[in-house]
Amino acid sequence: MDIDSKAPENAASVDTEIKDAADHISKTMEQLNIVEPSSSFKKKPVIIIVVGMAGCGKTTFLHRLVSHTMASNIRGYVMNLDPAILTLPYGANIDIRDTVRYKDVMKQFNLGPNGGILTSLNLFATKFDEVISMIERRADELDYVLVDTPGQIEIFTWSASGAIITEAFASTFPTVIAYVVDTPRSASPATFMSNMLYACSILYKTRLPLVLVFNKTDVAQHEFALEWMKDFEVFHAALDSDHSYTSTLTRSLSLSLEEFYSHLRSVGVSAITGSGMDAFFKTIEASAEEYMETYKADLDKRRAEKERLEEEHKKENMEKLRKDMEKSRGETVILSTGLKDGLEEDEEDEEIEDDDMISEEDYVDDDEEDEDLARG
Amino acid sequence: MGYAQLVIGPAGSGKSTYCSSLSQHCETIGRSINIVNLDPAAENFNYPVAMDIRELISLEDVMDELGLGPNGGLIYCMDLNYHMHLEENLDEWLTEELDNYLDDDYLVFDCPGQIELFSHVPVLKNFVEHLKRKNFNVCVVYLLDSQFITDVTKFISGCMASLSAMVQLELPHVNILSKMDLVRNKRDIENYLNPEPQTLLAELNQRMAPQFGKLNKSLIDLVDQYSMVSFFPLDLRKESSIQYSLSQIDMSIQYGEDADVKVKDFDQEDDD
Repeated sequence: MDIDSKAPENAASVDTEIKDAADHISKTMEQLNIVEPSSSFKKKPVIIIVVGMAGCGKTTFLHRLVSHTMASNIRGYVMNLDPAILTLPYGANIDIRDTVRYKDVMKQFNLGPNGGILTSLNLFATKFDEVISMIERRADELDYVLVDTPGQIEIFTWSASGAIITEAFASTFPTVIAYVVDTPRSASPATFMSNMLYACSILYKTRLPLVLVFNKTDVAQHEFALEWMKDFEVFHAALDSDHSYTSTLTRSLSLSLEEFYSHLRSVGVSAITGSGMDAFFKTIEASAEEYMETYKADLDKRRAEKERLEEEHKKENMEKLRKDMEKSRGETVILSTGLKDGLEEDEEDEEIEDDDMISEEDYVDDDEEDEDLARG
Repeated sequence: MGYAQLVIGPAGSGKSTYCSSLSQHCETIGRSINIVNLDPAAENFNYPVAMDIRELISLEDVMDELGLGPNGGLIYCMDLNYHMHLEENLDEWLTEELDNYLDDDYLVFDCPGQIELFSHVPVLKNFVEHLKRKNFNVCVVYLLDSQFITDVTKFISGCMASLSAMVQLELPHVNILSKMDLVRNKRDIENYLNPEPQTLLAELNQRMAPQFGKLNKSLIDLVDQYSMVSFFPLDLRKESSIQYSLSQIDMSIQYGEDADVKVKDFDQEDDD
């Protein structure tokens, strides 16, 4: 396979050398620290995966979280998984855009924007074990890992790569899903119910503790939501007057949702004003404890699930790679080694550079998303 | 009276492929259908497009002109709060285009994947109202990639996601498990197509943390009681499979019946 490499061969071998050296050093250090092998479970940091509908304010919320942690002596680590975001208002320790160039992916594989994002996430997911290792190595210095997900919710929640990333986290650290709700938009009972049903869908898919984050409380207070969640009759009355669907179905749904709410914690925040931050972190702590008590038992199943997902994903990719190699006649996508970006960006952590030096060779074996998926 | 399918589902579930196969199938059996593209972010099509929203607005143009990324761009395209004038144009455009279609015409709308567009933005709801005003019977076809349904928790998750869209659109609803041709162990999927509540509940209780027993039961009951939550399999390689799905959908919109408008009692659908 011809690797259309921008960097001369010397640089590539130097990169590998440096990487080997870095690996060697960390291995030695691990031995000194009597750290358990990386496959063991850690109590910290707590991973907070921030998901929500497009426009609910995930990134603004993340920004607020980052500011809060910096101001409060909380040790946070920040990860951006949105390959298509143009400007990130906060500094990320790990940014998917360093490793995958979304626009190049789109161009090279002739994909639309959705396809580009899915493919970028796919590529990143194949390297995710490295991300986990990196966090493990720093586990003692971190309290939380804050993860920003792609703008459109289902790119993360209904994709194989989203599942791989979630399971990778959840099999190693206590992981909590922060489901951000656009409070003003959810003031209509039908929209509220739709939103909650979707949250329920995420609960069952990830099988992780879920925290409802009612954002934009500066625009609309979330008390109505709390009332609806507490008293199903009040909710159903509001829904009935607003709806034309038969009330037996909506009544059953409301009842199921009432049971659903009893398993959730919620908190009202405003990313803009900063209100609710302490409450948010208290809630996360409680959820992390819940994780340790009940979800940890599930660990073996999770790891098995993650491995299964990766296996299937790999098989698919090898097949597609073969087809696409034929199609594109041997051209391969040019992905960033991350080296240049690692140097340019204001990285506090030098270790980042080591891990960003994923050589292009690695990527030749990985593949992009099926083009049909992009169109479908 | 016109008939319409609204094809929705997560990104990558196979909506455009479905439309394309449906188009070919109908050509084979001599049935006339018209495919409409409602996705401003769509790139190219495998099916002949009768109407295309990109004539009105295209994601690429919006992104270029306004300097937005794909997320912001799509929301901009679809969220009429941002540009009231578009709503008027959309109405005009729809009226003009739909006037080209006579009675008994059958339209299939290939929608964008993002669920935000159903839950958070009124555009698709308004669009449906518009169709109804023009005397169309509309059915929602929700596609889910069958490869994701690997165990009962994913199945419940899929049902919830479908319901999430359903409660907003308030229309007859048919759920389809797409890409059955890619599923390795078809027998496992069978369990979810004809759900045995007791067995599913037992499995669900095993997989979820112990405190979820009550919620598990509540959701399994929901799936059991309301056939509208059930899924049909679709294997696009088989004509019979496509035809079966089509018949189910036709039934939902009463295509082929010389019927007066019936008031459907949604929670008393026949068991399919």
